[in-house]
Amino acid sequence: MFGKRIDFVGAVVFVAFMAALPLIFGGNYLIGVLTVSVIYGIWAVSWDFMSGLTGRENFGHSLFIGVGAYTAGFLNTKFGLNGWWSLPASMIVATVFALIIGVPTLRLRGPYFALAMLSGAVIMQRLMLIFWEQTGGEEGINGIEPLIRSQLGFYYFALATLVATTALLLALARSHWGLILRAIRGDEATCQAAGINVTYYKIASLVISAAFAGAGGALYAHYQLQVSPQLFAIVTSITIITMVYVGGMASIYGPVGGAILLLLLTELLRDFGEWRLMVYSCTLILILFFLPNGLIAPTWRRMKTLLAGPK
Amino acid sequence: MNKFSILLSAACVAAGLTATSAVAQTKPILIGVPTSMQLQVGRDTQDAIKMAIDDLNAKGGVLGRKLEMVVADETENPETGISAIKKLTGDDKVDVLIGGYTSGVTLAQEPHISAAKTIYLGVGAASPSITAKVKQDYDNYKYIFRVGPLNSAIQAGQLTDFIAHFVKGELGISKIAIVGENAKWVQDLVPLLKKGATAAGADIRDTEMFDAQTSDFSPLFAKVKESGAQYMLVILSHASSDVFAKQWYDARFPVPYGGIDVKSMDGDFCKRIGGKSIGELAVNFATRAPLTPKTIPFWDEFVKRTSRQPVYTAFGANDAVYIYAQAVERAKTTNADAVIKELEKTNYVGIPGTIQFDATHDVKPGTATYRGPALIFAQWRENCDREVIYPKTMRTAEFIYPPWIKK
Amino acid sequence: MLEILIHGAVSSAIYAMLAVGFTLIFGVARVLNLAHGSFYALGAYGAYYFTSHFHMPLLPAALLAIGLVALFGVFVEKVLVRPMRRSQLAVLMITLAVALVVEQALFLTFGSEYRNVPEFVSRKFTIGGVDVGGQRLLALAVSVILIGLLWIFIQRTRLGSAILAVSQDPEAASYMGIPSDRIFSIVMALSAALAAAAGVLAGPFLTVQPTMWLLPIVKAFAIVIVGGLGSIPGSILAALMLGYAETIVGYTISTSWTEIVSVAATLLMLVFRPAGMFGKRAAF
Repeated sequence: MFGKRIDFVGAVVFVAFMAALPLIFGGNYLIGVLTVSVIYGIWAVSWDFMSGLTGRENFGHSLFIGVGAYTAGFLNTKFGLNGWWSLPASMIVATVFALIIGVPTLRLRGPYFALAMLSGAVIMQRLMLIFWEQTGGEEGINGIEPLIRSQLGFYYFALATLVATTALLLALARSHWGLILRAIRGDEATCQAAGINVTYYKIASLVISAAFAGAGGALYAHYQLQVSPQLFAIVTSITIITMVYVGGMASIYGPVGGAILLLLLTELLRDFGEWRLMVYSCTLILILFFLPNGLIAPTWRRMKTLLAGPK
Repeated sequence: MNKFSILLSAACVAAGLTATSAVAQTKPILIGVPTSMQLQVGRDTQDAIKMAIDDLNAKGGVLGRKLEMVVADETENPETGISAIKKLTGDDKVDVLIGGYTSGVTLAQEPHISAAKTIYLGVGAASPSITAKVKQDYDNYKYIFRVGPLNSAIQAGQLTDFIAHFVKGELGISKIAIVGENAKWVQDLVPLLKKGATAAGADIRDTEMFDAQTSDFSPLFAKVKESGAQYMLVILSHASSDVFAKQWYDARFPVPYGGIDVKSMDGDFCKRIGGKSIGELAVNFATRAPLTPKTIPFWDEFVKRTSRQPVYTAFGANDAVYIYAQAVERAKTTNADAVIKELEKTNYVGIPGTIQFDATHDVKPGTATYRGPALIFAQWRENCDREVIYPKTMRTAEFIYPPWIKK
Repeated sequence: MLEILIHGAVSSAIYAMLAVGFTLIFGVARVLNLAHGSFYALGAYGAYYFTSHFHMPLLPAALLAIGLVALFGVFVEKVLVRPMRRSQLAVLMITLAVALVVEQALFLTFGSEYRNVPEFVSRKFTIGGVDVGGQRLLALAVSVILIGLLWIFIQRTRLGSAILAVSQDPEAASYMGIPSDRIFSIVMALSAALAAAAGVLAGPFLTVQPTMWLLPIVKAFAIVIVGGLGSIPGSILAALMLGYAETIVGYTISTSWTEIVSVAATLLMLVFRPAGMFGKRAAF
């Protein structure tokens, strides 16, 4: 019981801290960095829900992000639809894509599933370039309207979305549902033998994961005011996986911290100029090497035992 | 975290002290440079701006204030590009932005530049859409100017002239193939080029578009050869021009080529591919020739300081600093609205020619009567030297065919 | 037609050199090495560096580069990959991080410009009316020889059969007294050397630039999946298929569609026959 209460307190403190950050320091630059990191947080959490729990590493999460963002871009610029329609629309489109690619590939495991998803994302990126007359090619779609004009307002909206997403997925992960998904990770055949419809659970978890990724994509499009095929790139998926890894796999809340930490790190490293990406990659090796279970979730667990004190 | 928080608190303190304007007067004028730091175009942008800043500071600065430069890496990715703009405008609070390279990144940055109400002088991206917004929505996009390069629509026009007067007029070749990379500015340019060239009497046998990542051009060469084209007009920027030239040479491809080839503007292009581009005609925005009184002194000084030959972003970046400095001198303030009014009146003798802006804040191209920037076609020759072939008024040597093509 | 035949063979040969090493280290150590493309890049850069800065003749420079890359491969395997081997994702992440570090190191030392690896053969050959650069033909020949030698080594030597044994059943092999850790290092060295050789041979006519590792690794991954993870004959056959498929698409449709071919083939293969053409282990 104590554990649950302290989790809740921790979450409240974290959200309050995130909400207060721009008020303390101010400046549009900080708000911008935080907004993008919060959107990455949504992507990381949604990745972790499907891949962390079922152990099927999705190397093509960028596919759902990209279609979500492009949906928002198309609806807003080509059809002049109000930006608020983008969120539900992009969730639906991402869901459709999740079904199309998920049904035939979810029976695969390990590197096979990873590569199948990655291929899906690469194919979409290529198609965006090949059909440039419709998609805007290399430059993508420009001139998207902001969802909320005030920088701070947008940040709070994104933060609220992140909190809602995390709470929902965390609740699902801790329910009977999450238990089955974790069991699938452990031993799929036994689950099947126990009469669980494994396929249904796997596809449903991919669909949920994709829907939130798509919504994050729409937020991203309405914040950056443009979308480009680079969103579909392998790098996007890999960045997200790295964030989850640093946050702590299968913990759902850890990836949020991982996303914010790594994005702030990339921005802070700007002072290194040309050396920025080198420092980043080396930091990554160090984290992978010395913190094999990630940084955020294990640290929180340790803090919790410390706070709980000796029993 | 340290420098970041120091900057933030410094900004707070500065905001608190705005009443005492004496402090503000001696504060340096900050030039923000969003560019691809790891690329040649980015390094040249920085070095050329540094040169101009050193020169102006040695002469006492602008309005008694020194100039300073802050660089932010925009890579070739829109997301990093946007965050670079946000850092420069939101955190460093720069007075002006000078930079750019990839059109897609610049287009992505525009709404954020406009939101920050900061003047932007583009020196690297060629898409016409970048300045088109100035006319459509002046109030929001008046901050955007392009000092260089000439936009791709103008480049298409000048390429058409090149086809009409040189390829057809002098070489007597009318069967032409167009080969370009899949990028926005090329997609903008190709239809115009096709139309213009056909009107000029050329026969466009084949148009091939390929991905910037393509590393094997043999299928493409085969198609060009099959089409019966006798001249290959290329439009390349992000693509691997080096590989293109090498494979052209290795197969002793029987069709000469030339056109816009951004990497072939590099002074060491020919040397670094082992002399395999000899015979190629490549567009340059300036060469070491007396285009204006500034060209040769700038060129020599740049080579002296960096031991590299400058690429096109260097010309625009260097000119942009002086153009901005003069506009500030005339406006007697760094207030954006006042400076924009003065920038619009710019008439500056720069490195590639006289710089003036049109109604869309785009640089005006040179014509027969106006000495603005224009495309200069130079051919790679023996020992990797360059000779100007076109326009005819500037010709330093006669065109030669690659040794394996008999004429 | 003949053009497709010749150029397809050259692409296939280079793909095969990359894919065989990649599948070998997976088959033996179950390591999906995303740094494989970096070995290819380092081979090309090594040959460039030794010839242009130390003015070494090309052959010793190439051999030195290949040797050093093999040593680097052993270092990566021993120091970075070995402690991670319990988790496949950890291995993917660490080898990816190595690839990024190598890319950045190349950026910082050589810059973003393309570099020129000198060619062994500079003259042009004309085969049945088709003009082909000599270096391409050399790459084709050397690749066939190297893969042939590797095949003989694995099938005919004692060390080779030890490698085969570890790949079939590492536990049983260690009961038989085969030091599997040493075998891993040897296989990693072989795999890295093959990739570096591909870099040295293809460098003169393909891209030599810090990001040159990415495309080959995607291709190698695709080929290996189509051929069946861990199967050398499978990857050779798949390399031929993809090499030719890309060339045919490039010649008949458009070069902008070539890149999509290998990815689409991978996806289809995964959907319809996930174990690949020759894979023994089931994928699901």
